[in-house]
Amino acid sequence: MELDFIFLILILTLHFCVGLIVYFNNRKSKSNVLFAVMIFWLIVWTAVSFIGEEPINRGAVSVLVKMDFASAILLTYFFFLFCRDFLVRNLFTRINDLWFFLPAGLFSLFSFTNLVIHDIEFYPEWRYFVPGPLYPMYVLFVFAYIITGVTNLLTKYRQFRGIKKIQTQYVLIGLALTAFVVLITNIIIPNILKIPSPPLVSRIGIYSTLLFIVFTSYAIIKHHLFNIKVIATELFTAVVALILFIQMMVAGPVWLKILNGSVFILFCLFGYFLVKSVIREIELRQEVEKLSSAKSEFISIASHQLRTPLTTIKGYISMMLEKSYGQPPDKMEKPLENIYASNERLIKLVNDLLNLSRLEAGKIEFNPELTSLEELVSGIIKDLRINIEKKGLDIKIIKPSEPLPKIMLDQDKIRQVILNIVDNAVKYTREGGITIKLEKLNLEEQIKVSDTGEGMDEKEIQSLFRVFSRATAGIQLHTEGAGIGLYIARQFVEMHGGKIWAESPGKRKGSTFIVQLPVHLSPKLLKSETITVINK
Amino acid sequence: MKKILIIEDEKMLGEMYQDKFIQAGFDAVLAETAEEGITAVRQEKPDLILLDILLPRTNGIGFMEWLKKEKEFSSIPVIAFSNYDDPKTKKEAAELGIKDYLIKTNYTPQEIVDKVKSYLKN
Repeated sequence: MELDFIFLILILTLHFCVGLIVYFNNRKSKSNVLFAVMIFWLIVWTAVSFIGEEPINRGAVSVLVKMDFASAILLTYFFFLFCRDFLVRNLFTRINDLWFFLPAGLFSLFSFTNLVIHDIEFYPEWRYFVPGPLYPMYVLFVFAYIITGVTNLLTKYRQFRGIKKIQTQYVLIGLALTAFVVLITNIIIPNILKIPSPPLVSRIGIYSTLLFIVFTSYAIIKHHLFNIKVIATELFTAVVALILFIQMMVAGPVWLKILNGSVFILFCLFGYFLVKSVIREIELRQEVEKLSSAKSEFISIASHQLRTPLTTIKGYISMMLEKSYGQPPDKMEKPLENIYASNERLIKLVNDLLNLSRLEAGKIEFNPELTSLEELVSGIIKDLRINIEKKGLDIKIIKPSEPLPKIMLDQDKIRQVILNIVDNAVKYTREGGITIKLEKLNLEEQIKVSDTGEGMDEKEIQSLFRVFSRATAGIQLHTEGAGIGLYIARQFVEMHGGKIWAESPGKRKGSTFIVQLPVHLSPKLLKSETITVINK
Repeated sequence: MKKILIIEDEKMLGEMYQDKFIQAGFDAVLAETAEEGITAVRQEKPDLILLDILLPRTNGIGFMEWLKKEKEFSSIPVIAFSNYDDPKTKKEAAELGIKDYLIKTNYTPQEIVDKVKSYLKN
C-alpha cells in the first residue's frame, strides 16, 4: 500500500471522526450541523481530487475533474454559511438562504457540462484544463464565498467578548494555519521556488485543512478553551498517537504491525487517563479558588456587619468615659470601663477571625515599608500605658544606646504582633511589671517582652504557636484568645522571614516572648504584594 | 472654624461622630449617601472629608472618582473610615488619593478627631 494512499485514508478518517463528534455533540445547533455538512463536502472534494490525479483512464479522469469542481464550490458555499451563522442566531430566512445557494447550486451543476471546464488535455507529465465560458464566473463565486466567510469571522472576532471571542479566535487560527501551509506547499514551492516535489508534498496543502477542522471543532465544542495546560496535554497525546498510528500502518511484517498496534492502543488508553487527570486537577483547583474567594468575600462583609455595632458601643462608651456627656456617677465608672474592655475583646476576636480566615484561605496582603521599630513599639506602649498602670504594673523599655536603623516592615502586622504579646503579658501578670528590650543583633532586630506573670511549663510553651486546625479551633477559642492571636502573630512574623518564640523558667516564674525580624527583607518578599501562607 | 464633612450611612454612627467633632470645636456636616455628599461638597466646601466606603448606591470609591474629576474640590483631603477591611478596596482607595484608610472599630471618636487634626495641620 502506497504511503500517499495511507495518508489520504488517515486524513479522511480523521475528518470523518471530527465531523461525527461535532455533529453528535449538539445536533440541534446550526453551527454544528453546518460544520458537519462542510466536512462531508471536504471529504468528497479531497477524495475526488486525489483519485483524479491517479493514472486512470481518461474517461474516468474527466468525470472526476468535473466532480472536483462541483464539490469545490459546494464546499466553499458551506464554508460561507458556517462562518455566517457561527455563534449567532440565524437572521436569514429560507428564501434568503436559497438566493445564497443559487450560484453554488447552479455552478455545481454547470461543472458537469462544458461551461466551466471545456475540455481536459492530457500530456505525459501533467493535465491542462481548458476553461469554459463560465469559468471566470465560477472562480469569482468561489472567492466571493471564501472572502465573505472570512470577513464575517473577522467582524465577529472584533465584536465578540469573552468565550465567544476565544471561540472565533480558534477558528481564525485554524484557518490561518491552513492558509499558511497551502501558501507554502501549493504556491511558493511549486510556482515561486520552482522546486519539483513529490505528490505527497503538494497534497499536504489539501491535508492541512485538517488544522482548520481540528481548531474549529475544538472551538465549537468549547472544550477547555481557557486552559492551555489541558490543550497542551491533549495536543501532545494526539501527536504521539498519530505517530504511533502511522508507524503501525507502514510496518512491514504482520507481527510488527500487531506489536505497533498494541503500543498504539495502550498509549491511547493511558493518554486518555492522562488527559482526564489533568482536567480533574485543574477543575479541582478552580473549584478551590472559587470557594476561597467566596469565603474571603463573605468574611469581609460579615466582619463589617459585626464591627458596625461594636464601633457604636466603643464610640459612645469611650465618649462617656471621656466625660463628653458630663461627669458620670462614680459608681458607674467601673461598669463603663468593663463594658469598654469587653467590647475591645470582641473587636479583637472579630479582627483575629478575619485574619485567620485570610490566612486559611492562603492569601494575605503584605505591604512592607521602611519603619523604625523603636517608634512603632513606643507608639504601642503609649496606647497601652494607661491600662498597664491602672493594673498597678510597671512598664520599662530598654533601648540600645544607638537608635535602631529603620527596616522594611508591614507596620499593621508587626503592630498587631507586639500588641498581642504585650496584651498577653498584661493579662497574665498580677504584680510586678513588663520589660520590653529592643536590640540590634547581627542580621536581625530583636524585641524581647518579659513579664513577672504566671509563666508556663514546657508543654504549654510547645503548644503556644501550634498550627491552628479546625478540630482544635473550638477549644482554643475559649482559652482567652491565646490560640488564635499567637498563631496569627507567628504567621505575620514568618511572613517577614523572622522568628517568634517563648521562654519561661516554669509556672509562676514569668515568661519572655522574643521576636526577631531580619534587617534586610529578602528581595523575593519585597517584590510580592500577596504572600501565600502555606499551613505546615 | 474648620469644616468637616462626614459621609456615613449608619445614622447612629454618623450622629456620634458629628457630636464628637462639634464638641471638639469643628463645624461638622453629615451626609448619609454619596449623592448627598456630592451636594454637600458643592454647598459647604469642607476642609476635610471623612468617607465611609460601603454606602448605598454609589459607594465611597465612586464618590472619590467623582471628587478627583472636580478640579475645584479635588484637593480636599479625604480620610476613609470603614469597617470593610478589604485589601483590594484599600488599594483602590490609595490609588484615588485617600490620605488614610481607618478601620472604624479600631479607633475611638477621639482618636479619629486626633487623626483629622494631624491631617489638617499638614
